[in-house]
This record gives sequence, structure tokens and C-alpha cells, in this order.
Amino acid sequence: WSLLVGILVVIAFCVASYFLAPKGEDQLVWRSSLMISATACYLMWAITFLAQWHPLIVPQRNDLRPEYLQDKML
Amino acid sequence: MAPHKDTFFRSAEMSLTQLYIANEIGREVVSALGELGVMDFRDLNSETTAFQRTFTQEIRRLDNVERQLRYFHAQMDKAAIPMRSIYEFNNTFAAPTASEIDELSERAGSLENRIASLNESYETLKKREVDLTEWRWVLREAGGFFDRARGQTDEIRHSVDDDDAPLLRDVEQPTLSGDAQGEASFSVMNIGFVAGVIPRERMPSFERILWRTLRGNLYMNQSEIPEPIINPETNEEISKNVFVIFAHGKEIIAKIRKISESLGADLYNVDENSELRRDQIHEVNSRLSDLESVLRNTKTTLDAELTAIGRSLAAWMVIVKKEKAVYETMNKLSYDHARKTLIAEAWCPTSGLGLIKSTLQDVNDRAGLSVPTIVNQVRTTKTPPTYVKTNRFTLAFQTIIDAYGTAKYTEVNPGLPTIVTFPFLFAVMFGDFGHGLIMTLAACAMIFFERKLLRSKLDELFSMAFYGRYIMLMMGIFSIYTGLIYCDAFSKELAIFPSMWKWPTDFEVGDSVQATRVEGYTYPFGLDWGWHDTENDLLFSNSYKMKLSILLGWAHMTCSLVLSFVNARHFKKPIDIWANFVPGMIFFQSIFGYLVFAIVYKWTIDWYAIGQAPPGLLNMLIYMFLSPGTIEAPLYRGQGTVQVILILLAVICVPIMLFLKPFYERWEHNRARALGYRGIGESTRVSALDDDDDEEGQTLNGGRDSYGDDDEGVAMITQDIDQGEHEEFEFSEAMIHQVIHTIEFCLNCVSHTASYLRLWALSLAHQQLSIVLWDMTLNTAFSMTGAKGVFATVCLFYLWFTLTVFVLCIMEGTSAMLHSLRLHWVEAMSKHFIGDGIPFQPFSFKILLEEEPIE
Repeated sequence: WSLLVGILVVIAFCVASYFLAPKGEDQLVWRSSLMISATACYLMWAITFLAQWHPLIVPQRNDLRPEYLQDKML
Repeated sequence: MAPHKDTFFRSAEMSLTQLYIANEIGREVVSALGELGVMDFRDLNSETTAFQRTFTQEIRRLDNVERQLRYFHAQMDKAAIPMRSIYEFNNTFAAPTASEIDELSERAGSLENRIASLNESYETLKKREVDLTEWRWVLREAGGFFDRARGQTDEIRHSVDDDDAPLLRDVEQPTLSGDAQGEASFSVMNIGFVAGVIPRERMPSFERILWRTLRGNLYMNQSEIPEPIINPETNEEISKNVFVIFAHGKEIIAKIRKISESLGADLYNVDENSELRRDQIHEVNSRLSDLESVLRNTKTTLDAELTAIGRSLAAWMVIVKKEKAVYETMNKLSYDHARKTLIAEAWCPTSGLGLIKSTLQDVNDRAGLSVPTIVNQVRTTKTPPTYVKTNRFTLAFQTIIDAYGTAKYTEVNPGLPTIVTFPFLFAVMFGDFGHGLIMTLAACAMIFFERKLLRSKLDELFSMAFYGRYIMLMMGIFSIYTGLIYCDAFSKELAIFPSMWKWPTDFEVGDSVQATRVEGYTYPFGLDWGWHDTENDLLFSNSYKMKLSILLGWAHMTCSLVLSFVNARHFKKPIDIWANFVPGMIFFQSIFGYLVFAIVYKWTIDWYAIGQAPPGLLNMLIYMFLSPGTIEAPLYRGQGTVQVILILLAVICVPIMLFLKPFYERWEHNRARALGYRGIGESTRVSALDDDDDEEGQTLNGGRDSYGDDDEGVAMITQDIDQGEHEEFEFSEAMIHQVIHTIEFCLNCVSHTASYLRLWALSLAHQQLSIVLWDMTLNTAFSMTGAKGVFATVCLFYLWFTLTVFVLCIMEGTSAMLHSLRLHWVEAMSKHFIGDGIPFQPFSFKILLEEEPIE
């Protein structure tokens, strides 16, 4: 369940950024920016991952040549 | 949320401050505050016109000095003398003393006189020079005519005797020459002449007019002056012609003179006698050379003077500009004649009060005045201006928000989440590793050369990009990330991990082949590159991106809705929570939250494994409304009941939103009425007055002469408060407002969710466009072989690269940015943004100089 691992990583990152954000006037900006970006990036990754988890269609092509496959294999 | 710290989350806490400034140091105090730049002075004399104010005299004087400085600048431009750049001065232009200003204005006055007189003499000299040059040309050319004409006089006389032949025929017919007639022959014949210079373009009309008015009774000769003559007043080059006109009779000559003068010709004396002419030429030449040396001298003095001015002109301009701003601000203060003090009212951030006080103390100490400047805080019902403290990084993001509207005082600043969401939504549309990399590098370069670029002048487009350099940096970084997710780098795939798809090894060339999945393995990061170049690539990525944009839109809008909850908490309006936020949230979540749940749920089920047909989500949503309770293609068990409950929830929320708030407000209003209050404004005003008095009483213990004066000052404030904003409660108005809000909210939930589909559309367009570009340019080059292939590759690479930068990065980037902007302004901010704030406009020299830069 990599999704849960992802969530844990993001939460850890958020907590870390909450406490480790540079002190000073802009602490709030740092904190919120880091946390929101982490969340947004995670969301996007999770959505992509979910979409490919149980795909309903498979890739299909008709311009395949044996040499191409050889290239890919190597 | 620290209560006493100004952060980017809310606009800074402001307080209305009253300053009592001793008249003698008024100027110094105001200019020190201008350096500080944290106070927004209120106009206390708004009823008086600009002319009646106290310091109009000073402003006029400074206007005059400014005009003089501009005059110097214009002269320097004319003489092409460079001005020392403002950045070369190392002092920070501390506020000048009054005597310095006087000195400056005197100096500017005398310098202006000097330069003006120098200029004037230079121009008259130049004019003389031009006259003399023209005269020389006339002499030279006219001499030629005379020499040629001498041979013709005989003939002319014949024709004159004949009297019926037109004079001009002679011009067309070359005649015999060499007949040595005396120079006096013209006068014998009573033929006079006029010589002069006329601009070349006037020549044809001049000829025509002369011909018509004199009916051909003239003989005209002309020649072009080869070099253009410079008009000293306008500095334009004009090419001119020399003409000599011979005619018969005094009256005709006079007429010719008049005509030529009216047409702008300059007439010059030319003697018939060749010897006299030679003398004239000599004289003119010597005068010319004299003039030239004088001219040169004048020019060098003028240049030296201007260079000396140019060394400090920029500093003077800054000083005068600041001084003018100081007096303009002082005009906003009210002057108390009896106590010789200036009274100022200004908004300033509460956190800046300490700084202001210490600055004022400094000014006082420097001036050595025993009377301190008094700083009071006044309580008022007026809305304070909205001031969000920004730095280099957040400034551009805040500008995005401010372009939409000024936030209400201490409202949640939408600029904070925008720092991330704006570039992120941009990147979802712009997702390409390569393009993101280009953008990041450009932004990094701009940030790296920040200091240098700030000083140089930029054209409009570039300066806009420069202003948003930090936005660009964020956009670039997020584009790289989304590019990795989309697995696109300049439209090519990025094979980081092994693909989850395997192609069969035995097939006929040209057959349609289907890949098979590697068992139990899902591509770990981003989109599988195995989809690249496949036939049904679009089919998959469309469904993926569409769902992606709906999910992201839902998340974005939910967050924005939550911000409205935070706002309601902050403004202590529980009714907004219970009547707007909660039902709105339930409505939104029971429809679109459910859709999001269905999307994710559908992804988590392996439909082939359980042997069911996957249901279409769109139909599910439609039938959820059309026939609640009946399910055609079930997603999960008990779906019908859940959907019915959700719809009921949503429907119940609408009347709650519609009626709760207006009725609550009416109830509250009636209760207040019953308790005997007339209006809200009155009671607060009284308290403000009391407070004000008390505070003053404490601070102004010794230094007060009469109580009456003080009343005046307070009365002035209360007047302003009177104009303050409290409106009568009207039920119908509140109801209409709420109806509009409800209808808008419900409809917008649908339309805004649909609006997020632009994320899908634009990212698709971007991807397809870059694929097309690749195929049209580089791909064709790669298919060629040999020398031709090499050549084509090099050429097409440049073509591809420039097109990538201009079309894909700049054009597509702009369009994606605009769409992201719209998503923030319309879709997100409509959920929580209150607006109607007053922008904070501090009196600050820094802002002043930024607005009107000095070269």
C-alpha cells in the first residue's frame, strides 16, 4: 500500500516543515507554502497512481517492429 | 497565529494615530515619517480647496524649482550631456534642512538665468551665422547668374524694345554670349533685381505665384544650395534654393519683395558690381569666422556649466520631489493657531508604532525642542485600510490578489495559499519537464541578475515578466514536477522506471498489438511511459486528466470554502457559519464530494477481476438527480439509499441557506430596537469621544492652555466619524442579498466544477501541440540520412528550439497563466473573499520615487 506510505511521508514532511521553517517574519509563508506544495504534489501523484492501479484499457499500437522491441529490452 | 504579529495571513492590524507636532519642526517630522513610510495620512482639510491650504506658497516655490531642474534636464538632453545616474550617489538623501532648500532654490534660479542667457546668446549667434552663410551662398550663386546674364543683356534689351515677346523666352533659348557690356547696363535698362534664399519645397509655388501676379514680366534664376541649412530654433535641416529675379520697374520689384517675404524667403543685398561683390564675400567670410570662434566659446561655457549641473541634478530632483511631497502631506494636517501645533491623523500598522515614536523622538532631540511630539491612538468606527506586508517574494502574489480587489480589513488573505496553488494549477496545464526547465532557468537568471535589472530600464513585456519572476520560478518548478508526472519532456517520454506494460514478441508487422500487464506491478511514479505513441494513448490520458482536474478542483474549492469559515470565526459572526458555511459545505460535498468519492472508489476496484462491467460515473451522477434511488449499473451495495440521503441533504440545505440568515438578522435587529437603541453609530461615537478625551488628559497634562481648543480638535475627529458607515437595517435588502447569494452559490458549485475541466483541456492542448511541433521539425530531420540529414538536423533544431520557446513556453505559458488566474479569481475567491477593503497608501518617499523614477 504505497498510497499510505505516501501519506505518511507527506505528513512527516509537513510536520518537519512546520517546525523547521526558517524563523522570522516569513515563517508563516514558508510553513504554509511547503505544506500546501507537499499536499498538492502528493495529491497529483496519488491520483496518477490510482488511475493506473486497475487500468480498464491496455496500450495498443500497430506500428511496432521487432527492432523496436529489441531496443526497449536492452 | 500570534495575535500581535503581522503576517501574510491577514492584513496588518492598523490604528488611527493622532500626532501633535510643534509647528517649528513640522517639516522635519513629516519628512522623517516619509523616510519611514508607514503612515497613511488622512486629509483633514478636505473641505478647503488646494489654494486655500497652509503651505500652498511653499509648494508653488518648489514647483518653480522643479520646473527649472526640468529645464536643465531638457538642455542637457539637447546638448547630449549625460546625467550622473541616481544609483551613483552613495548617501541616502537625508532630509535636507530648510536653509539647504532655500539655497538650492536660489542656486537653481541663478543657474537658470545663466543658462537661459547663454542659450539665448548662443541662439542669436547661431541665427546670425545662418544668415551669413545664406548670404554667402546668395553672393556666390548670384555672381554666377550675373556673369552669365551679362552676355544676355543685349538680347534682353532687344526683346524689351520689341515689347511683345515674353521675357522668359530668353531662358529657353541659349543666346550668344561674350558681348562685353558694362555692369551698369541693368540700371540703364531700368531693370532691378531681387536676390534671396527660399526653402526648396516652396520653390514651385513661389514661381507660380510670381508668374501669375506679374504676368510673366520677370526673369528668374535659381540654383540649389548643396548642403542643408540648419534652423537654430528647431534644429531642423532645411535644404534651400538661391534665387535671383530680374524685373522691370520699381513697383514690380517691390511686389516681388513682398511676395517673397510672405513666402518665407530671406532676401539679401547683392551688388551688381563684381568687385563690390568680391569685397562683400570677403567681409562675409571674415565675419563668419569671427562668429564661429565666438560660438565655439559660448558652446564650451554652456557645456561646462551643464556638466557641472549634471553632476548633481539627479540628487536635486530627488530632494525637490521629496520636499514637495512633504508639503503636500502637511497640507493635509490641520493647523491649530492658538497652540502653534499641527495636528495630523494617520493610519499606521499597530506594530509600527514603536518605530514611529522613536523616530519622532530622534527628530525632536535633533531639533532641540522642549515640546515633544505627541502620539495618540484614537479609537474609531471607521474601517482601517488593508495593509498586507509583503517582501520581494510575496509581492507579486499579493499583486494578483489586489488586482481582483482589496481584501477587507483583517480578512484572510487569499495570497497565502495562492503562493502555491497558482503555480501549481498553472503547472497542471503546462506540465512538461523540458518547458518547465526552460522557465525555471529563465526565472533563476532574472533572480540572479535582480539588482542589475532593477536599475536598468526594461520594456513593458519584459518588465512584466521580471515583476513576476518569483511566480515564474514557482511555476517552473511545479511544471517540472507535473512534467515528470505526465512523463513528458519536450513531448518525449521519460523512462525512469520499468514500464508496467509488456509487448508481445511475435506479431506481424502492421498488426494491431495489445500489450499485456506485468503482473502485480503498478508504475510507481507518474504516468507510465508505455502509453507513449500508442493508438489509444489519448483515450487513457483523457479519462485520467479529466478526473484529475475534477479532483484537484474539488480540493481547491473545498479549501477556499474552509477559508470562509475562518473568516466568519475571525469576524465573530456565528450566523455566517451556521447559515452560509455549513449548509454550503454540505450541499457541495453531498454532490461533488460524492462524485470525487465515486471516482476514487472506481479506481480502487479491479473490475475485470470481479467480473463486472465498470459503471459510467457521468450517467451515475445524472441519474442520481433524474431518478433517485434506482441504480442501473451499481458501483457498490446500498448505493441507492446513500444517493437518496445525499440528495435530500443537499435539497434541505438550500432553504436553510436562503432563509436562516435574513430572519436571524431581523430578529437581532428587533431585539436591539426593543432594548432602546436607535442606531449603532451613535453609541460608539460617544465612547470614542470619551476615550479620546481621557487619553489626551493623561498625555497633555502640563502643556495645555485651554480646554476649548482641545474640544475643537476632538470635534474635528468626531465629524469624520459621523460620516462613518452604519446603515439602517432593511429586511427586504437582506433577503434579496441572501437570495442572490444562495442561487449564485448553488449554480456556481456546478459551473465552477465544470470550469476546472479547463485544466484537462489546456494540458491536453499543450501536450498535443508539443507533439506536433516535434513531429514537424526534428522528427523529419532524423528521418533523413547522410550530409543532408546532418544539415537538416542543425537547421530544424534551431527552428524547433525557437518555436518551443516562443510558442510553447511564452504563448502557451501566458494562456495557462490566464486560466490559472481565472481559476483563482472566480472559482476560488468567490467562495470566501469579502473584499471592499480600502488600500493602504502610506506616505513614503520610496514609493514616491518608484512611481516617478528619475532616469
